[in-house]
Amino acid sequence: MRESSLVKRGGYFLAFSGLSLFAFLCVLVIPFLYGFFLTFTDWNAISDTFSFVGLQNYRTVFTDKEFLRQFLVTLRYVAISAILCNVVAFTLAYLLTSGIRGQNLLRGGFFVPNLIGGIILGYIWKFMFANVFTQIGKAWGIDWLKTSFLTNPDRAIWAMIIVTVWQYAGYLMMIYIAGFVGIPKDVQEAADIDGAHGFRKLFRVTIPLMIPSFNICMFITLSRTFMTYDLNLSLTNGAPYGSTQLAAMHVYQKAFMSKQFGVGQAEAIVLFVVVALISVTQVLLNKKREVEV
Amino acid sequence: MKNNRFFAFMLTLMLLTTMISVGATAEGDVKLTYYSTSAEVNAMFEEMFERYHEINPNVTIELIPTGVGMGQQEQLQSLFASGNAPTFMNIDPANILDYQDKLMVFDEDTEWFKYLNPDAIEAGRMDGLVYGLPFSTQGYALCYNKRVVESVIPDFDPASINTQDALRAFFETLDAAGVPPTMIHGANWSVGAHYLGLVYAVHGKDTASGLRFIESLIDGTMKIADDPLFQGYMDTYDLLVKYNYRKDDPLVGDINADDQAFANGECATFFMGDWMWTIIGTLESKDLEYGFIPVPWSNDPTAFGNTEVVVSMPKVMCIEVTQSTPEQQAAAMEVLEWMLTSAEGQEYFIQAGFSMPYNNVREDASYNSMTQAIAEYSAVGKTINIGCFTYLTGDAWAKTGDMMLKYTVGAIDRAELAEEIDAFWKTQTKQ
Repeated sequence: MRESSLVKRGGYFLAFSGLSLFAFLCVLVIPFLYGFFLTFTDWNAISDTFSFVGLQNYRTVFTDKEFLRQFLVTLRYVAISAILCNVVAFTLAYLLTSGIRGQNLLRGGFFVPNLIGGIILGYIWKFMFANVFTQIGKAWGIDWLKTSFLTNPDRAIWAMIIVTVWQYAGYLMMIYIAGFVGIPKDVQEAADIDGAHGFRKLFRVTIPLMIPSFNICMFITLSRTFMTYDLNLSLTNGAPYGSTQLAAMHVYQKAFMSKQFGVGQAEAIVLFVVVALISVTQVLLNKKREVEV
Repeated sequence: MKNNRFFAFMLTLMLLTTMISVGATAEGDVKLTYYSTSAEVNAMFEEMFERYHEINPNVTIELIPTGVGMGQQEQLQSLFASGNAPTFMNIDPANILDYQDKLMVFDEDTEWFKYLNPDAIEAGRMDGLVYGLPFSTQGYALCYNKRVVESVIPDFDPASINTQDALRAFFETLDAAGVPPTMIHGANWSVGAHYLGLVYAVHGKDTASGLRFIESLIDGTMKIADDPLFQGYMDTYDLLVKYNYRKDDPLVGDINADDQAFANGECATFFMGDWMWTIIGTLESKDLEYGFIPVPWSNDPTAFGNTEVVVSMPKVMCIEVTQSTPEQQAAAMEVLEWMLTSAEGQEYFIQAGFSMPYNNVREDASYNSMTQAIAEYSAVGKTINIGCFTYLTGDAWAKTGDMMLKYTVGAIDRAELAEEIDAFWKTQTKQ
């Protein structure tokens, strides 16, 4: 009796989730494990044969100065983007829940960039930085706009950050708006009656109650910006002279262009571990600060 | 029970789908796939294959197209890895190295190979064996806009620029007349593969000379800074940088904007190749007459490189042997013969503007002025062979090109550039 119910439950489980489980295994788990396996080989992405090289690829990763430099560039890009995305998104959400006129239209407007794919977005902004801003600079005599943002290493990474913020802020804003709307009215009224207004109410009442929203938004920005590839490819393609090549792109170049698949894959594993550690730590830390109402 | 039946059904469905996709063809029919990395002429290949099917109804050729700037290498790698390798394909000569053990070694005694020019058969040679057959010749050097140059120097003769001093004087004359003398395309492939490539290639007419030099950089027995060709070409490069039309913002690297500026006569010369006609040819307003000036590296007018332009065969046709059947390989060989040496096949390439390195191309074929100018250098043997780059890994030009870009904007000086190039080569392994 018990056994048959177990079989039945297993059957239901497979019927409802079998297909997605199969897909999940095929496109995520198996490639991941196979990729991990390849980090111990010297496969060149083309050959039919490869030999085992032990931990050699990992040693190469940690002595590859270029990868380490690009990893630092990536960290800087992620840190600045994550903070700016959230600050902008939170500010937008705050303003667009305060009852200003046309707020629904504005919400939609800010959300639209997220509907455009990273590749298209990159090309649009490449045109803006290289052609539109430079023309404005020349027409109005603004020196710092006369040359493209994308041809100077310091400014090109800022161009990446600007576009990232533009892309994600609207999406995160929606999550924050949900957070704002979800704060119980009675708590807010109690705060008002107690004489907490403006910033005091924001910092002492609103923000502590919105920690779950921050948690989700931080997780989204961290994991997505660490893995940025499409925007990187279409906006700068690493230019000028490789200074804006982020870690994900370096991995790709190493595996497919330099044809050192094992090394590229080992770099991907290192990147995965770092991203997982940072994201999970962030979630765990913030989880402790969540307030139950 | 119901569940089991459901799964049995699903499994059967999956198996059936797989079987159908593998497909079966009628007796005697051959189905071939062709992978093209010449993305700009996908339509041409499609028309050719349709026509071939008309005259040979038992052979069907499916084109696997790629997009300009799309990951062609990765797509080909995944086709091979997934067991769907194309029967035949066109790839860069540099890729022969990667796929060497999977490609057919062509028998040089094949009857119709007599139509190939001697240097054409060399384009697909690797380790003494022929793996690829080219279908086009391209070239690069300093391209000049005849109208613009002749407005300052009437009856200009490109052969008069055979030394560095002559080039300097030429630029000074243009500059004094208010014509921006030259333009550098600020992208790593142009300054890395093409410009810096000259340093390796001019070591000798044959591929081996350039390769020996590269190998001496790899094993550290040579420092690039000690090489007179490097110093000479960098002196010329300084000249190009000084008179660069894009010097206010040299790294924009927008090929459409640069081609357009050149076609409109905004500058007199442009370090680029005749392939830019594929863009310039489509522009509404453009100058039609162009020529090529060699890039001189010294003041000796007889030195190799000072009077030559680079001519290369950028794509070669190859046949796959590990995943295709002997029947498919034989059919692919026949298709190649038709495409490359029959009058009907060649016409498609001629119409698309390719100058074919075959000696039976109809003599009255006419090309645009850029291709024509390169063909004239080729006809008198005034060419530099860039073949040594065939033996390099895919990222050499990108990495060293990025270093050249840093040098272009003054982020590093020449000594630092030389050090970075040396350091890069030391990380490479000898092929």
